[in-house]
Amino acid sequence: MAAELAHHDAPRREGIWVQRLLRGGLALSVVLMAVGLAVQLASGSRYAAPVRMFDVADANVTTGARLMALGILVLAFTPVLRVLALVLLWAKERDWRFVGVAVVVAVTLGLAIALGGG
Amino acid sequence: MELHAVAVLALAVVGFLAGGLGALVGIGGGVVLVPALVLLFGVDIRIAVATSLVSVVATSTSAGSVYVGKGLANMRLGMSLEIATTLGGISGGLLAASVSPTVLAALFALMMALTAVLMLRGKDSHPPPAPARARIAGEPEGHEEVGQLAGSYFDAHHGALVSYRVSRVPLGAAISYCAGIVSGLLGVGGGFIKVPAMNLGMRVPIKVAAATSNFMIGVTAISSLFVYFARGFVHPYLAAPVALGVAGGALSGTALARRVSPKLLRQVLAGVLILVSVQMVLDAFGVNLGR
Repeated sequence: MAAELAHHDAPRREGIWVQRLLRGGLALSVVLMAVGLAVQLASGSRYAAPVRMFDVADANVTTGARLMALGILVLAFTPVLRVLALVLLWAKERDWRFVGVAVVVAVTLGLAIALGGG
Repeated sequence: MELHAVAVLALAVVGFLAGGLGALVGIGGGVVLVPALVLLFGVDIRIAVATSLVSVVATSTSAGSVYVGKGLANMRLGMSLEIATTLGGISGGLLAASVSPTVLAALFALMMALTAVLMLRGKDSHPPPAPARARIAGEPEGHEEVGQLAGSYFDAHHGALVSYRVSRVPLGAAISYCAGIVSGLLGVGGGFIKVPAMNLGMRVPIKVAAATSNFMIGVTAISSLFVYFARGFVHPYLAAPVALGVAGGALSGTALARRVSPKLLRQVLAGVLILVSVQMVLDAFGVNLGR
């Protein structure tokens, strides 16, 4: 009976975990973007240049732009982490059908990231 | 592109207005942001789309976190449709690089006009009637079944948990793929396609469909955002003030939503969207009446 109740309550626990993860990612990203913007404005640099995904550590990128790009990356990877978290949470529930679905989404996102790095 | 401090402030204000309006009338900010960046700041439409996608991820992450916490978003349904939307998003992102800015602007104008028509036809959202049975403290607003595409949600009108079972998944997936392409190509969330697809096509209750769409949009948007990153269309100095403005605007819009007439706002915004869509087409052909 207790095991059945725990199983019934699982989606709610999953929702709370996902909520924490999304909020944490968003908060970190907002802080990084705000600090980066302040640094960029304080430096007097006015040029808005593109930054490619894996060029964040490049020496030519200014500190402000690097922080803002890092904020955007944290924001972009937050939904990726949400997908991976659900793979683990659903595996814990032995909900294999949806573990499979989430793995396919994760692989598709991996393809998008590979295209982004290419 | 050079940006003075005043321009950065103006970008944040535009983001704030787009986020606020989006939250007030229930549309994503992208439909306002992209034309504003193109027409007011002279930004290349593909850079504007990439900037808008960053903001779409921010608002969806914020709204999605609220809906999963309440149990209203059906995460298993959302994940199932995300297979199609991510593939669509990648296709849209790749397609955007090969489509000329003129065609992209024309497509965006068409989508704006369509959104305006949908907004004018939209019904007023009245406060929900008092439930026959109040929800027990701590009781979630919704629940999804483990291992299947089904669930229940608390219906305030009937004062009871209403069960639903998702049907016609292949149809929903096909439409979701199209929504992903539109999102990747035009930098919008695509909720105006996903919500009717789930509600009318898959028989998901509208409240659950809207919550699930919000939950999904972030994953859909990043699939094309990564492609835009590769092509060099993401400019952090442009995207950061806009995204911060949008996040603040969305919060303020949500707080204001109960005090402003949604019908009047929808009519005003629909009129503005139609005018701007005409300007977008003219601008694409080198005619700008506003400058």
